[in-house]
This record gives sequence, C-alpha cells and structure tokens, in this order.
Amino acid sequence: MADEITPRRDPIKSSVGNVAAQRRRQHAITVAKERREAVVRTKRLCRVGVGGGGDDQLTYDDDGDGGDMMIDAEQSILEAQTCSAVQDLQLAMLFQGKGAMQKRVAALREVRRLLSRSEFPPIEAAIKAGAIPLLVQCLSFGSPEEQLLEAAWCMTNIAAGKPEETKELLPALPLLIAHLGEKSSLPVAEQCSWAVGNVAGEGEELRNILLSQGALPSLARMMLRNKGSTVRTAAWALSNLIKGPDPKAATELIRVDGVLEAILQHLKKADEELATEVAWVVVYLSALSHVATSMLVKSDLLQILVERLGMSNSLQLLIPVLRSIGNLVAGDAHVASTVLVIGQSITDSILPALIKCLESEHRVMKKEAAWVLSNIAAGSVEHKKLVYSSEAVPLLLRLLVTAPFDIRKEVAYVVGNLCVAPSEGSGRPKLIADHLVFLVSKGCLPGFIDLVRSADIEAAKLGLQFIELVLRGMPNGSGPKLVEKADGIDAMERFQFHENEELRCMATKLVDKYFGVDYGVDDE
Amino acid sequence: MATEVEVSREDQLKFPYWSPIRRRFDPESSFFAAGNVERELLAKQVALDLTEEEKLQFRNMEDEESSKLYCPLVGCGAHLRSLDEFEDHYTSRHSAACSVCSRVYPTSRLLSIHVSEVHDSFFQAKVARGFAMYECLVEGCGLKLKSYKGRQQHLVDKHKFPTSFEFFKKAHPSKKQRKKDQHKQAFGTKEAASRAMQMEEDTMDNLVSAVSKLSTSDSPSSISFGRRHNRGLTFVPRAVRQAKEPESSARRS
Repeated sequence: MADEITPRRDPIKSSVGNVAAQRRRQHAITVAKERREAVVRTKRLCRVGVGGGGDDQLTYDDDGDGGDMMIDAEQSILEAQTCSAVQDLQLAMLFQGKGAMQKRVAALREVRRLLSRSEFPPIEAAIKAGAIPLLVQCLSFGSPEEQLLEAAWCMTNIAAGKPEETKELLPALPLLIAHLGEKSSLPVAEQCSWAVGNVAGEGEELRNILLSQGALPSLARMMLRNKGSTVRTAAWALSNLIKGPDPKAATELIRVDGVLEAILQHLKKADEELATEVAWVVVYLSALSHVATSMLVKSDLLQILVERLGMSNSLQLLIPVLRSIGNLVAGDAHVASTVLVIGQSITDSILPALIKCLESEHRVMKKEAAWVLSNIAAGSVEHKKLVYSSEAVPLLLRLLVTAPFDIRKEVAYVVGNLCVAPSEGSGRPKLIADHLVFLVSKGCLPGFIDLVRSADIEAAKLGLQFIELVLRGMPNGSGPKLVEKADGIDAMERFQFHENEELRCMATKLVDKYFGVDYGVDDE
Repeated sequence: MATEVEVSREDQLKFPYWSPIRRRFDPESSFFAAGNVERELLAKQVALDLTEEEKLQFRNMEDEESSKLYCPLVGCGAHLRSLDEFEDHYTSRHSAACSVCSRVYPTSRLLSIHVSEVHDSFFQAKVARGFAMYECLVEGCGLKLKSYKGRQQHLVDKHKFPTSFEFFKKAHPSKKQRKKDQHKQAFGTKEAASRAMQMEEDTMDNLVSAVSKLSTSDSPSSISFGRRHNRGLTFVPRAVRQAKEPESSARRS
C-alpha cells in the first residue's frame, strides 16, 4: 500500500502551496465583489440595535482583522457557529417548561449576534440551518417585546444580503408589516421597518408584494411622528418602497393624510440626518409622480429646499435636496412661471444656493447644480437674464474648460440655453446675440469644440449645435474665423468617417455652408 | 404639395438647431448613478469601515461601468474605457497621413486607396483601359466601380453617404504651409508635385461635373468637405472655372 502512494507524495506536497494561494486570491476577488455589492445596493445592515442594543458595541471586530479579510477558516467557523446557534434556537422553541421565554430570547440573541458581527453575515448558513421558519414563529402576535426585537433584527440582516436570500423572507412579510402598526412598541416597529426597507431595496418584485400587503400606509404613519430614529428609519424604508419604476406607490404616498405636512415640517425643522432621509423621499416623489410634483410645487416645499441648500454643509443632505429641486424644476412646466417668479425672494436665493453647489469640491454637486441651472436657463428670457447676470457665469466658463466630462456637458447645456430664446412654434429658435457674443468673447468656444471631439454622441451633437450658433450669430460674419481659430474645422472633419449619420450630416452642412468655396478669399 | 416621403426628407436635411428644453431624468437613470453611489458610501462608511481610498475606488468604478463606449469611427468599434482615452486612440489609430499630399485618413485602408487613386499613374492607366478600379470605401463591400462618379453614386445609394460626401477633401494647410505653398507656386518648382496636382485636377473636374449632375437643388454646385485657400493654386476645381475653361486639363503622364 505504502508503495502505491509513495510515487505521488512529492507532487501533492508542492501543489498544496499553490492551491492555497490561488484560493486566497479567488477569495480576495470574491470579497472585493461582495464588498462592492454591499456598498452599492440600497440596503443597510443593522449592527447596532434600534434601542441601542448596548452589549454588542464591542463585538464588531473581535478577531481584529478589520473585518474585511475573513480568511476561509474564520468564515467556516462562523458558519458552523451559526448552524449550531440555529439548532439551539430550535430546541428552545420546543421547550415548554419554566424559563422558556428566557431560553428563546437567549438563543435568538446568539443568532442575532452572529448575524451582526461582520459585514458579511453568515446568512446562507443561517437559512440552510432553517432559521427563517423559526424566526417567523418568533414574530407571532403577543410575543414578548424582546423576542420580537431580536427576531426582527435577525430578519433585517438576512434581508441585507443577496436576492435569493432576501426572497426566503417572503413568508415573514405579512408579520413584519403587521408589527408596523400603531399598537406596536416603537423599537419593534422601527426594527420591523428596517427589515421591510431592506426587503424593498431588493427589487421591484418584492416591492410590489410589500405594497400589495399594505406596507405603505403603515410606514407613512410612522413618518408622521415628530422625531426620533423611528421617523428616520421609516423615511428611509419608504424611499426604498416607492422608488418604482411604477409611479403608483409614490402617488399613493403623497395622498396619505398628513404626509405632505410631515414632509414639509421635517425638511424645515428636523436635524440634518432626518432631513436627509425625508429629502430622499421627496426625490422619488418628484421624479416619479406627476400628482406628487404638482402637490409639492403648490406647497412651500421649494422655498424650504432652497433654504436648506443655501445653509447646509452636509453633502449627505445636499445631494437629495439639490436633486429634489432639480426634479421639480425639470418635471413641472409651471415651476418656472409660478414659483420661480422673477422678483420673488425664492428666485433671488436659488441662484446663490446653486452657485454654492457649483463651487463645491464634490463632482455630484457640480454636475447636478449645472443641470438645474440648464433647466432654469431653458425658461423665459427673464430667467436667462437672471442666470446670465449672476455670479454663475464666470464659474461656468471655468468649469467648461477644467471640469471632468460629465460636468462639462451639463455646463454646455447652460451656456447654450442662455444664448437661445425660447422656441416659438416650429421655426428656428432665435439667438440672443449679446449673450452669445459675450460668452464667446470670454472663451467658451474651445470648450464646445472639445465636446465635438468626444466619443459621446450627445456631447458631439451639442458641440456642433453650438458651433452653428456661433457661425450664424456672431456679428459681421466673424463666426467662421473664430471657429477656424479654435480648430473647429479640424474637429468637424472627423465626422466624415463617423458612423453616426446625423452627426455626419450636421458637420457636412456646417462646413459646406460656412467654409465652402469662398471662405478665406479675402484673407490678409 | 409635399408628400409624406418628401417631407421627411426635408426634415432629414434640416440642421437640428439648438433649442432650449428642460431635461428630465428617471430616478434610476445613469445620470443620477454617481449621486446614488455617494449616498450609499456616506451612509455606510461607518458600518462597513470604508477607507478614503476605497471610497475613491467605488466612485471611479461607477464611472468606468457606466461608459460602454466604443470608437464611433466607421469600421473601428474599439472599446474605450473612458472618454479621455478616445483622443489618444484617435491620434494613434485614425490619423494615417499621406506622405505626398498630407491628407489625413482615419484608416490605413482608406489612405492606401487614396494613394492609388491620386498618386499612382498605373492606377489611372488601368482606369483609362476600362478596368473597374474605384473600390467602395466601405470595408467588406468589395464592389469596384469604373469611375469616381460611379463609386460616389454607389456610396450614396447603397451605403447612405450624404450626397455631399467628398473623398478628396483638402487637407487644411497651416498658415505657415500656405505661405510656403504660395512661395513654391511663385517659383514654379516641383514637377512631381504638380503632376500629382494635375492628376487630381482631372479627377476633380470629373467629380465636379458628376456632382453638379446630382439631384438636390439646394446644394451648391462646388460641394466639398474642406476649406480652400484659392489664391492662385492650380488644383482648385470650381464649376465656374470649368465653365470658363472647358477641357483644358488633358495633361496626363
């Protein structure tokens, strides 16, 4: 026997090292991917309980490795521990004698701890060991509060994982929703809303199920409270629940009695954390539902948002506030004429607030602020004059040259919109010559020609459209020379072999019309 | 009475002028992706213990993911990881320049077609003998036509090239080069160069007569893609010039 094995011994030895290294590498890649997933999805792991869950603060990282590089061995230990904890819970559930409740809660707590320790909780192991039916049982009506809390916490973290894991919670949903009711204790309702929020964050299918089971009115009611973490969690869960793409839920939400007032109140008075979550609700309301948008526009909302935009320095808050303003301006034709009326204080304060965003170091702020400005500049001549004469212009011109591409594109929209009057009927929109002349004199043309050169079709089209304005609208026929000097002809010639027919035709037309036979005949 | 077909063609010919409109985006639009990532990063940086480096990584990853960019030049299709990459890609892959006349072409194939058609007397000889020498410019088509005009027509008819498309565009000489050219002109040098130019002139004449016979009434008769500085240089074809001097260009080597 020994003789049979001997010849193979050495090869096995040398390959063990390689195999282990390879597995570590593979694991690292998987971890990185999972970490990315964990960041990007709109779910939130619950690592500290809603009531404060005191005893767990110290157990986050008890292996001291930063939690992110769980080596195989540790992960499988965790899984084994989870499996046995679930088995303990099962036994506890069967136990009928004295101290049964304490036993159950203790077992639940152990499972919960294992599910909250690291950022990659052993969800799959827990599910495989049969945790979910047990947890559902623990959620039954009349159960002691601590039991409900621990069970809901477990479910929260199970729902924070992969799609197939979250789907396993289907049987639990009606119970979770039921515990959102006004008779539930606050911590229990909050923990359940967190779980519901994670489930809703999974995808449209689960969202629809939750909606059909009546999750929305209960969560909405929770948002009507004055303060506390309950309101915040409920608002966050709502933002996940209504995000569509079907606008039904958003429309339903705004129609719930008291919701509009609560939104306004929180945005006006609440601390930045709560205001942030409520602002995200507004983001989805304004992006999805026309009913919501018109109700919101008729209220004080825009005024309140503009104030927050001007005063806050928290990026977390500024993002949804700015976007809400953007959605309202973009979505409703009446905003410009009824709310942003020239001369009103709101109109006077919105520009400085947007300028502050343009000056921010954060890309998102600059890009979305430019977007809002482009929509304001797409309004009446008075609105264009308002933007044109503000401090925004020098900033925009600088950004057009120095900023990253996505910001430059938005700025291009602002600049171009400033130069063209609102279109009347089907004719070619008229130029606003003095705006165009000024902006070109300040050197905006190269920025547009740069866009012409880009591989992005929309940007290239924008650039060509602006070049047309310059060629047509600069006085005394100075357009062509300016375009030539800025290497515009060179940029346009690229389109000869471009696969996009529209761009090819556009470029050809411009070159034919303005740089044809007689161009340059009267040169020095 | 414009029929449906005519109206749409007219629309097709119209330049899409800048028209200021409000732009709206769906909440899940890629326009908002960066902001959504930021939201999650800020909300989870404590729970997930994210370092500044990681946050930067996540932000940039978002950029690269959302740009499914490919080079837009016909027949290239190269994948671009970012928009910034496009400029480099363009200068390294799409600027094949002719060593004789400095015209620039986006692929080496088109450059070699140009060189044969314009600078090769052997090519012209075969054309004169009736061989179909003018290749279709679209890679993979394979068709060969007997005349420049015929190929032009094929490009328009079969491959939907604009009627004003011009394979023989002029390279725009820099101011310095223009002064040099004028200088050369004044001192009448370079036989080879002038031969090349004359061959071109002939082809140009053919082209112009062909083009002037093409349909669209609103396009100028001397259509070309490229700027011209027409002072005294011999190789500028114009319908007007041709009318004044018919068939003066019978010089071929």
